[in-house]
Amino acid sequence: MNVEELVRDSLREMAREARPAAADLADRVLELRRRRRTRRITVSAVSAAAVAAVAVAVPLTDGGGRDVRPAHITDGRVAAHADQSPPRELIGAGDALMAGYSTQKGVDQPNKDRILTRTYRLLDPGTRTYRKDDRWAFATVAPGARMAAVLERDLPASRVGLLDLADGEVKRWVPVPQGAGAAVFSPDGGKLLVTTYAKNPDRAYWSARIQENGTMQPQGVPSRTGFTLIDVAAGTGQWHKLPYWKDRYGEALNARADLEFSHDGKFLWEAVETSPGRKYHALDGTDVRAPAVESHLWPSVEAGLSPDGRLAAGAFAGRGKEIASAIDDPVTGRRVTTVPGQQLLAWADGRRLIAWGIGGDGDEFHQRLVLVTVGSQKVRPLSGFRSPRDNSAGRWEPLFTTR
Amino acid sequence: MDAEAQESFQQFVAARSSALLKTAVLLTGGDRHAAEDLLQNALIRTAERWQRIDEPEAYVRRVLYRQQISRWRLKWPRREVPVAELPEAGHAPDASGAAEQRLLLRTALSKLTARQRTVLVLRYFEDLPEADVARQLGCSVGTVRSTTHRSLARLRTLAPELTAPDGAAPRPSRDFSPVEVRP
Repeated sequence: MNVEELVRDSLREMAREARPAAADLADRVLELRRRRRTRRITVSAVSAAAVAAVAVAVPLTDGGGRDVRPAHITDGRVAAHADQSPPRELIGAGDALMAGYSTQKGVDQPNKDRILTRTYRLLDPGTRTYRKDDRWAFATVAPGARMAAVLERDLPASRVGLLDLADGEVKRWVPVPQGAGAAVFSPDGGKLLVTTYAKNPDRAYWSARIQENGTMQPQGVPSRTGFTLIDVAAGTGQWHKLPYWKDRYGEALNARADLEFSHDGKFLWEAVETSPGRKYHALDGTDVRAPAVESHLWPSVEAGLSPDGRLAAGAFAGRGKEIASAIDDPVTGRRVTTVPGQQLLAWADGRRLIAWGIGGDGDEFHQRLVLVTVGSQKVRPLSGFRSPRDNSAGRWEPLFTTR
Repeated sequence: MDAEAQESFQQFVAARSSALLKTAVLLTGGDRHAAEDLLQNALIRTAERWQRIDEPEAYVRRVLYRQQISRWRLKWPRREVPVAELPEAGHAPDASGAAEQRLLLRTALSKLTARQRTVLVLRYFEDLPEADVARQLGCSVGTVRSTTHRSLARLRTLAPELTAPDGAAPRPSRDFSPVEVRP
């Protein structure tokens, strides 16, 4: 037998021995695809301790259906504007409110690089409307929706600003010499987690181009260096090294690899491509095991753990034309039930969530904000439909925080 | 992707993923985890363009091949194992049986560069003519021919027992360097 024949034989034998692909591969692929499409630039809507409430009291106008509320929730406030897209006036439900939104577009550079550029509209708590503020490359809103953390163009930014939403002025600048690319407040608003990068995580570099469908396309370059944890009251921070460059193939799927707080603010986590999808760190960056109640949380499901810690917002669970997302037991990961939402974005209280719902045309990208309730099939529209077209002015990304 | 397209994508993956995974396993030199990730990434890219693709399987396979030989993957240290020393003839395992030969070859295949292995998989597993391999990889027929030749030569170097006659000393090739395909 010559080498060619041996190669042929060996390859066929190896192929015969390969076990079948996992049964849930298609679901996993669709979930990962959704994850890449939806950039995580929102604040996790998790339980918040003592935060100043924004005075929004819009009575329930939809009287149909059974109101399912646990005893400890006394506030059923809903602010809905089903005719507005992008929203002009405040949208919220229960403890969750949309503190702003962004639109984004790819801006080609003279050197063939492309920068994903966001434009923010942030809540003006006085008028309860969203006000355009195009100064920032990145913004995130603190619980209470009185303050935002902002990064100037171009990323990585050398400082982070603490912006007063009432008058639109930066009240304090905190230097981040390592280069800030993202920020998120802790659930109690006391700490600000700033992810640092060596390169702009929103920039696709021509120097890293690859061929896609016959044409060369610039690609993002992973460059996370670590994070700075800022004490908001003191305005001081400590930087910790936590690099992310490439996965084990030397390839990294996302240039943006932002860090997030756990539901109680005691740990940090980052999304990873391998199961279970979240890698946890202590506040100094050392690796730790996932907290038990977060060990089954999906990285792409922004709503995460319910405020009372009893339920976890799960992944898309629809079949065929059914639109549904799972509600899981956070400790076991087992499905408890489903709710009629496409992507679960923020818990309004222990039973209700703000989600993306989709239109009657079945297009998964033709979405509007809806309020869904665990144990009910009722869907209450909160906004108008956003555009299905990527990077268009009509496709807005909400920014949630807690009241 | 609307609900109907999503369903057809799920049906395609259910029907073809095991066959595609076999190819991915070969491309990664038998590394099951790497193969699963390779296929997963190819399917994500396919899902992005699902409604515009006429022949999904051909598309996925092309993405698999091209991802595997992309420049990033060449940087993964496990993909290229430099051969510093020749195996000692006296310690070579008995390569007389077919099973042992295949085992030797399998180890040698895993030590090729991703590009070399991809060309061999296309030529000897998919049984594609050189012109089709060139089309799949976006390179010239001459490059396919030379890469095939050098890949086989490298296999002979890595596993000289495969070609050595009984009792004879292995005859090493002089080609120890990884070969890259330039499209």
